[in-house]
Amino acid sequence: MDFVIPQRKETLVQMKGIVKKFPGVVANNHVDFELKAGEVHGLLGENGAGKTTLMNVLYGIFRPDGGEIYIRGEKVSVGSPREAINLGIGMVHQHFKLVEPHTVFENILLGLKEPVFILDVKEAASRISEISKRYELAVDPKARIWQLSMGERQRVEILKALYRGATILILDEPTSVLTPPETKELFRFITQMATEGRSVVFITHKLDEVMAASDRVTVLRAGRNVDTVDRQQLDKMKLASMMVGREVLFTLHKNPIMAGEPILEVDNLTVMGDKGLPAVKNLSLSIRKAELVGIAGIAGNGQRELTEAIAGMRRIASGQVRLCGREITHKPIARRIREGVAYIPEDRVGVAAPQGLTVAQDLVLRRYREKPFSNGIFLEQQEIDSNAEKLIKEFNIAVTAKSAPARTLSGGNLQKLILARELSGNPKLMIAAYPTRGLDVGATEYVRSLLLKQRDAGGALLVVSEDLEEILSLSDRIAVMYGGEIVGTFPASEANVEEIGLMMGGSLRKP
Amino acid sequence: MVPVVSLVMGFLSAAPLFLAVGVNPILAYQEVLGIFATTDGLTESLTRSIPLLLASVGLCLPFKMNFWNIGAEGQLFMGAFAATGMVFLFPDSPTIVLLGSMMIAGFVFGGLWGLIPAYLKARLETNEVLTTLMLNFVAILWVDYLVYGPWRDPAGFKFPLTPMFPPNARLPWIPGTRIHAGLIMGLACAVLVYVFMARSKWGYELKVSGESRLAAKYAGIDYLRLTMIVMFISGGLAGLAGMGLVSGIVFRLRHGISPGYGFSAIIIAWLARLNPLAVVPVSILFGGLLVAGDAFQIKLGLAFATSQVFQALILLFVVGADIFTRYRVTLTWK
Repeated sequence: MDFVIPQRKETLVQMKGIVKKFPGVVANNHVDFELKAGEVHGLLGENGAGKTTLMNVLYGIFRPDGGEIYIRGEKVSVGSPREAINLGIGMVHQHFKLVEPHTVFENILLGLKEPVFILDVKEAASRISEISKRYELAVDPKARIWQLSMGERQRVEILKALYRGATILILDEPTSVLTPPETKELFRFITQMATEGRSVVFITHKLDEVMAASDRVTVLRAGRNVDTVDRQQLDKMKLASMMVGREVLFTLHKNPIMAGEPILEVDNLTVMGDKGLPAVKNLSLSIRKAELVGIAGIAGNGQRELTEAIAGMRRIASGQVRLCGREITHKPIARRIREGVAYIPEDRVGVAAPQGLTVAQDLVLRRYREKPFSNGIFLEQQEIDSNAEKLIKEFNIAVTAKSAPARTLSGGNLQKLILARELSGNPKLMIAAYPTRGLDVGATEYVRSLLLKQRDAGGALLVVSEDLEEILSLSDRIAVMYGGEIVGTFPASEANVEEIGLMMGGSLRKP
Repeated sequence: MVPVVSLVMGFLSAAPLFLAVGVNPILAYQEVLGIFATTDGLTESLTRSIPLLLASVGLCLPFKMNFWNIGAEGQLFMGAFAATGMVFLFPDSPTIVLLGSMMIAGFVFGGLWGLIPAYLKARLETNEVLTTLMLNFVAILWVDYLVYGPWRDPAGFKFPLTPMFPPNARLPWIPGTRIHAGLIMGLACAVLVYVFMARSKWGYELKVSGESRLAAKYAGIDYLRLTMIVMFISGGLAGLAGMGLVSGIVFRLRHGISPGYGFSAIIIAWLARLNPLAVVPVSILFGGLLVAGDAFQIKLGLAFATSQVFQALILLFVVGADIFTRYRVTLTWK
């Protein structure tokens, strides 16, 4: 698909007075948004500010209840993503819209008018590889989606949009699934887009990124515009307080605490990955009482499989896992829950918080078997309800009602729900995979402080994160994973960022 | 609201069908409404609804966890077979004992028949639509073998049916009607299953499992065990339906003992939105449709297939209208 390279800085998209309502909430309240050609425009705001909704309106997923949209000066009504694609708009969502059992190649071609019957594999394949090379988005077209890491899946989503000739690219929280080097790559790509005259909107909470990469930043709060700021006037503190509406503190205070006896012991663990190869190789690790161990590393080096194995979601091929001295290697998950293992998985939507259940039901997902939530055969609905009320209040989860289905919650609130549930059981061990991914500044602060509180109270925590800053600020000890092995462990006080970078890249081992 | 509207639309859509075979649709509708207006019609509808009630209540369970049990018909046949077997084995037992053992046998054999596809799914990931569907034929043909062969009534003029059941093998009935004790069984089961689904721990596990198998695993649910328990109960209830047919209405086992009740049960369960209490009125309605089918044949000369087409049209409309229960249509003017 060809497009005319527009005059630099010509206004490509204008959204005026957009209104979008959902039952109980006005997600967009007369919001304006403007996008120029060749511009990188950051859309900043807390969870629930209305950023994703606004872009969903632009992309045709939602019909606005009010307002107008102009593309290249013409008034349009975007009735569906297909119409958006025809207008040259492409979107990469926070939760990927990929078909997991199918290959990368099949996903990219899904829904297109051609090829009609006979799959012209050669032409499509060469076109995909051309785009892939041109923008340096390497991915194996024959791989199946479920085998890919989140970073690789994102590349597929981008390829999908580019294959359809997107000149306006919307990225929703793109770096939430990427590691520092991958993030650099992404911004290189975004700059490349902008240089060609295409426009990129990226929705994010990460102030550093928005400051480094954007030509302009629009800040939304509670469904309304706060301001649109040019590159020269960007100031981190000011942006943060615009976003949140109050002064934000960036420092975290960690109490020095003596760690106790070992709670989790992992001995020579080997776990198989989805592609039939070992993802975790002879890994040994131990976490003591009142200790938070952070696992650093580029996603795809076995962190996911490690957390799944300890949590019981993935079979362990060899090795042992002990909790408080008791072996739990092959014990069923129900038993692990009873013994005090809490788990916050990477996949919130599909696994940790089923969308069709109500908020109250999701809040007892792992604990419904225990008293007081059930008494043998029946569930105690009253206890479940009062538990829900308590947790909603305590963790400030924004819901319309505790009986609302979980799918009405925004990403950040869903994570709060999961955390609230897992922490409320007073677990001995908490495994958290990417706990602050996709959360805004306020929620991230809150989640981190909760994790530290848990540690102060004597809990043992295993945290996997792609945010090195987060690992450095939260951990008592850090372990770096590469190729399924731990290539270095050290107390956080001895952390050296360069060394860690080398370890993450596989160039250094520190036994 | 939506199920009612789609029901009505299904009804109305049959009008061209009647016209095509040269029957005035108004007369047909009159017949149907007439069923519910007379005592005879009502009691007969209730009678016909009993096997439907039992089987449909049973189907609410697997469907809720997205396990597509298309095998209620076969499970029904196995229940009928097992109940009949009891009569052959213990023809002289006292009524209560015999009937009790027939119920247990019917439930167990129907349940076992449902357990097979459940086990295959949970262990080998085999598609349950295929396994349950295929097992129907196995069960139906097994009964055929018996009624054409070893169990055939020697005084039955070579028809494929067993001898009539002795009085101690027949369910008690309300005098003046054909409504038998199976109705009480059915109503009791509807209430029990409703409570089970809405309030019990397993009902919760059902909901979670229906969402995703991984979510169930995460919650610590034993998916294999849950699937098997649910299918045993589902098959068991269909088996009870079979037992009710042979010992409450027909008083023997014969070829074609069920004219597709197990399949109609699928429609009923859907129409009732998988709510066992709602299944009660819906099955009575369907019972009425079956009686209407008789009336169509006798009074209007239509084929039996007509009432089946009726039911099919209703299913079509109900399933097609399902989208309106989740989205609201708003008309806007540009």
